[in-house]
Amino acid sequence: MKSTVLTLVITASLLTGCSNQSTENSQGDGGKKLVVGATMLSMQNEFIVNVNDEMARKAEQAGVDLITVDAERSALKQVEQVESFIAQKVDAIIMNPCEVEASSPAVAKALAAKIPIINVNSETSTKPSAFVGSDDVESARMAMTFIAEKLGGKGNVVMMHGYMGQAAQIKREQGAREILKQYPGLKLIAHQTAEWDRAKAMSLMENWIQSYGTEINAVFAHNDEMGMGAVKALTDAGLKTKVIVVSIDAIPDALQAVQKGTLDATVFQNAEQQGSKAIEAAVKLAKGQSVEKETLIPFQLVTKTNVAQFMKKPD
Amino acid sequence: MKNAIDTYFKPVRESYKTRVSRLGKAGIFVAFIVICVILSLVTPRFLTVPNLMIIVTQVSINALLAFGVTFVIITGGIDLSLGSMVAVTGVVAALFARQDTYPVIVPVLAGLLSGVLFGAFNGFVITRSKVPPFIVTLGTMTIGRGLALILSKGRPISNLSDSFNFIGGGQVLGVPMPIIILISMFAVCSVILKKTVLGRYMYAVGGNEQATRASGIQISNIKMAVYTMSGLLAALAGIVLTSRITTGQPNAGAGFELDAIAAAIIGGTSTSGGTGTMTGTLIGALLIGVISNGLDLLNVSSYYQQVVMGVIIIGAVVLDSVNRK
Amino acid sequence: MLSDRDYLLTIRGLTKTFSGVKALDNVELTVREGEVHALMGENGAGKSTLMKILMGLLSPDSGEITLEGQALKNGSVNEAMKRGIAMIHQEIMAVPELTVAQNIFLGRETTGGLFGWLNDNRLNQQAKQLLDQIGVSIRPDTQMKYLSVAEMQMVEIARAISNDARVIIMDEPTSALSDKEVTTLFGIIRDLKQKGVAIIYISHKMDEIFTIADTITVLRDGQYIGTRPAAKLDIDTLIAMMVGRQLDSLFPESTIRTGKEVLAVRQLSRAGVFSDVSFTVHEGEVLGIAGLMGAGRTEIARAIFGLDRISSGEIRIKGQPVTIRSPQDAIQHGIGYVSEDRKGWGFVPRLSVKQNITLASLQTYASGLLIREKSETEAATKLIADLRIKTAGPDQEVMYLSGGNQQKVVIAKVLLASPDVIILDEPTRGIDIGAKAEIYKLINQLKANGIAIVIISSELPEILGLSDRILVLTKGKQTAMLSREEATQETIMAYAMHY
Repeated sequence: MKSTVLTLVITASLLTGCSNQSTENSQGDGGKKLVVGATMLSMQNEFIVNVNDEMARKAEQAGVDLITVDAERSALKQVEQVESFIAQKVDAIIMNPCEVEASSPAVAKALAAKIPIINVNSETSTKPSAFVGSDDVESARMAMTFIAEKLGGKGNVVMMHGYMGQAAQIKREQGAREILKQYPGLKLIAHQTAEWDRAKAMSLMENWIQSYGTEINAVFAHNDEMGMGAVKALTDAGLKTKVIVVSIDAIPDALQAVQKGTLDATVFQNAEQQGSKAIEAAVKLAKGQSVEKETLIPFQLVTKTNVAQFMKKPD
Repeated sequence: MKNAIDTYFKPVRESYKTRVSRLGKAGIFVAFIVICVILSLVTPRFLTVPNLMIIVTQVSINALLAFGVTFVIITGGIDLSLGSMVAVTGVVAALFARQDTYPVIVPVLAGLLSGVLFGAFNGFVITRSKVPPFIVTLGTMTIGRGLALILSKGRPISNLSDSFNFIGGGQVLGVPMPIIILISMFAVCSVILKKTVLGRYMYAVGGNEQATRASGIQISNIKMAVYTMSGLLAALAGIVLTSRITTGQPNAGAGFELDAIAAAIIGGTSTSGGTGTMTGTLIGALLIGVISNGLDLLNVSSYYQQVVMGVIIIGAVVLDSVNRK
Repeated sequence: MLSDRDYLLTIRGLTKTFSGVKALDNVELTVREGEVHALMGENGAGKSTLMKILMGLLSPDSGEITLEGQALKNGSVNEAMKRGIAMIHQEIMAVPELTVAQNIFLGRETTGGLFGWLNDNRLNQQAKQLLDQIGVSIRPDTQMKYLSVAEMQMVEIARAISNDARVIIMDEPTSALSDKEVTTLFGIIRDLKQKGVAIIYISHKMDEIFTIADTITVLRDGQYIGTRPAAKLDIDTLIAMMVGRQLDSLFPESTIRTGKEVLAVRQLSRAGVFSDVSFTVHEGEVLGIAGLMGAGRTEIARAIFGLDRISSGEIRIKGQPVTIRSPQDAIQHGIGYVSEDRKGWGFVPRLSVKQNITLASLQTYASGLLIREKSETEAATKLIADLRIKTAGPDQEVMYLSGGNQQKVVIAKVLLASPDVIILDEPTRGIDIGAKAEIYKLINQLKANGIAIVIISSELPEILGLSDRILVLTKGKQTAMLSREEATQETIMAYAMHY
């Protein structure tokens, strides 16, 4: 709870502090255009694409050249990309790390070359110049707390993991287990990976329904794709009304489902803010100004009551 | 007259090889039954009609892909682009399947057509360039993934029409649609393989390409046909998948080719070509599905599931190589 | 009379049987130090089997080999190499990406230092010494792939010498060499003789034999015929020793009643393989094509059947010029082909007897795409009976049949497509004598039915026993067209060796 307050305070201060940043002219001391290199975890991931879209929008507003490259989930590739950014002498680097440990050398190299590096969305073990993102543990706490409250602190829960061993999976599991410990009435009767995948989650849910039938009271899925798969399987089995499903990310499909009432809740991770804050930090650091070491963008729980404000107008 | 025939057909004593070979073919079926019996003893939830329905439904996508790749492997080839074809065809179908746009036949035909084109492209490059199918389809696997991302702009395509979603989610007389599609495709593919000239030529090409050529058969036509059929079946799998999860996902189907190839191999299709049956492949796919379902029912970690699957694949290939000696 | 002690290498009483057929029967060979010993015989006389046994690649059934007075362990390649027996192969086996020096010392690299480092410099020096010894100037650090065939052969010889070879076997060493290169090779051979190395020299080229050989041993049908000093032999006597056998009763008499022309070939050429070949075959006629290995016999058959392209010339079927680009075209024009490479081009081992038989004419037994299984089985069953194919049934896989029965399946497949002309390429290779006789009978039956037949064979008695006319080829060129009356083993051999 303490950390949430802290986060809110930091964010609030940042929001006010940076509100007129975008209109400022972003030219370096020599008067030439600033160049920011960005290496993203995977441009096949919708959330990352959203973060990057916002970065691009923000960069254009600020008059900064943004070079985005796709690390395709390979930490090795990411390190090489950062090396080439260093060689190109970019003014700042934004990295959306592939792995906690394996992407760390990139941070060290950028710092050694005296180029500011900002981690966006997830962390590395080597501390960068600045971090912009959200705490995955917190998102899972939010989701599981929602389940606990809905069930009145008593009932059987199943959990679908992301790809085992990835930072997001580890943290989301950690957050969920913290809350489960607080509610001894909640029982985790099964947990299994569905590898972030909707079709795999659907099959897994079907099998669980066979196994546990009506014993299941709630499903927590580490991401919305899997949550949607679980919803589909439960709906097909005629059990959706009896089982609560909560997942994380607030992708458009999930928001629609929340609106329809099939998905009970999702957790909104603010891609736009992560993207824009990252660019802001990059510009400031490039100009030699100081920024907060850590900018935590708060999560928001999305339920039927507040879903409307998260729905984007269709493109 | 009868005597004359009898002397010619006096059964030659069955050789050791023939006996081992019989055993090999029966082996997979026996293994399948044994695993089913074990699972129904361990968990009472296994042998129930709804659970069996679910298994077959879950298996349907892999089985459709496996049927296609069985044709390909019988001719001595390989198709690694299956998973990417699932994504491309699924995305194409989804693009035409948005609510209140076209009648359901349009996305289905569009999806199938994209699969046929993709498969024919594989076949064309393989027959014209003489580059090994492994390399060609490795290339088109990446191309396909890229196309799926381009067509979908990297985002899932949702809000598909109810009539389209019926293909993967609906039921007819209590039987899920994917099962109906699976059974009908199994029948069609079996007939093609066993009863048609094309099927016979597939075995011939895989068994001895030179001798087949010397028998006046146009090898490239046969190869074009199998890769195109593989594309068509992958498209069907892509449509069923898209409809089942009610979204067109550019990331869908990653790694599906390996499961499909595994099903074919477990079912006795030899990777060196010339042998294989649709029944074997179907059992191979069911075996994979049953194991994964059973281990889920028992709440066994997927780590162990992967180990079990690997052991079964190697076992099947060892059995096959014993066969060939 | 010399005793075994005077010989460097003695082979006595060697017998080797392959599935009931005697490939070598009580064969002997005695070679002295520093001599070139030619081993002569027709294709299939047993020369290569004998050499394989000497190299330890095969084990004999009985007999013994003595080298320098000590028995040589049978069937061990290692032992043969260690004791100094080396072979220069017809197809040179070298690693093209490695250098000359690396190839010479392959498997015996000298190493130094604690970790056994390779020292290419030293290797190159040693290789240079060896190459100098045989008087060739090839840089030892050149990659093998940049050498000519002749140069590769020199490297092989250097490798043999570096192995302290006492006996070097050369199997058709000049087949890919120019005249000038042959002269160089002979120079090297004479040097080797000086050094006391014995050469076993296998060649079909008479002129070479009489130039280089000191002694000649002749084999025929796996039998030892004799050993003579080369100086005391003339070509006619040698040929008589090689082919001298009676035509046996394997070949049923058949009256010649030839009909209309079926296949005519005019000035057929395939660049670099054969040129200007012309012949005709008529209904009920058997045309034999004779020649030594590599004369271009199979290549002509493949070209007519559309498996290889021709570069010029014309093919006529029943008087009409036809274009044949693929086996499909050939079959459509009524040409059937039974390949000499049964396993490679003849049958599909995992298909059944029935499925193999109908493979070339499956469309006939199908309505649309669907195979009419009943009529297919009937057709196959009839041929199984007609050709007396021994099988458990039409559904037996062909891989389980004997060689002779596999060959019958291939012939049945070709016959089912009802050809007007059949080209049989080595139809009896590797099959036992009983099946051979049946195939001869079948050929005569087909002949009686008015089918035109072209038969290619390395076995002269077969050609002589079956053919009405015989075309002889040498190095891709037509050297004779002999009538049945003119043809004898001696005349054929003479033309085949272009003598």
